[in-house]
Amino acid sequence: MSDPSPDQTHTPEKGSTRRGLGIILVALYGLFALAATGRATYQIIADFQKAPVAYLLSVLAAVIYIVATVALARGDRTSIRVARVAITIELVGVLTVGLVSYLVPSDFPDKTVWSHFGSGYGYFPLILPILGLLWLRYQSRR
Amino acid sequence: MVSWLTVVVLVAATALGVLALVYALTRRGVDDRLLLVLGALEIALLAQVFVGLGQGIGRTTEFEKAVFFAYLLTVPFIAPVAVFLALKEKTRSSMLVVLGSAVVVGVLVARLVQIWGAGV
Repeated sequence: MSDPSPDQTHTPEKGSTRRGLGIILVALYGLFALAATGRATYQIIADFQKAPVAYLLSVLAAVIYIVATVALARGDRTSIRVARVAITIELVGVLTVGLVSYLVPSDFPDKTVWSHFGSGYGYFPLILPILGLLWLRYQSRR
Repeated sequence: MVSWLTVVVLVAATALGVLALVYALTRRGVDDRLLLVLGALEIALLAQVFVGLGQGIGRTTEFEKAVFFAYLLTVPFIAPVAVFLALKEKTRSSMLVVLGSAVVVGVLVARLVQIWGAGV
């Protein structure tokens, strides 16, 4: 605890996104940032022509997860705003892509993280943004 | 893949997970014992990287090579990042993140074995 580095001397203030359960959310977002980046990189290197739309959506998902992870981890006022925007886009994205992948499966010859509401990832891509928005809301009220 | 090495990895990951759970329940932070278990897990995972790379490159039959190597090289980073986080943020939740990282390591190692076995 005697770490004298300047950003560690004060405990996270009230409303910090890192307190308590917030760190679990940060870790989950970090994990998904890793998984989505890996998937997007692999899909693009392996065969981009096969499903360019799906692969570009994978890249978008990866970028949003990275932004959300960093913003949640930083947790200052601007970051919280950035996190809220990123997570809202994420929620809209997973709902849209999830719905379209069921309605027009031919548009998605290959999977993205968000296909079928994230069923390939235990529906976490659907649950995560809802948890994230609830958490940000709860934090800003304290 | 060497099956006994996989067993060692899974045992070490389980030990880390159980320890993290106990520490979370008793509100303890990262200590030497937890770091030792992490060290044991990492040594086993690094051994797995070398064995996996050696056997994977040498393998002539078909299997999902890119995915296999991606998982192989990512797995060793997960638990240390979680423990580093737990060192920075000394809360009960951080210890649950360490527990989660141990579970993720176990799942990814299971996937590795699956990918390796699924090839023809």
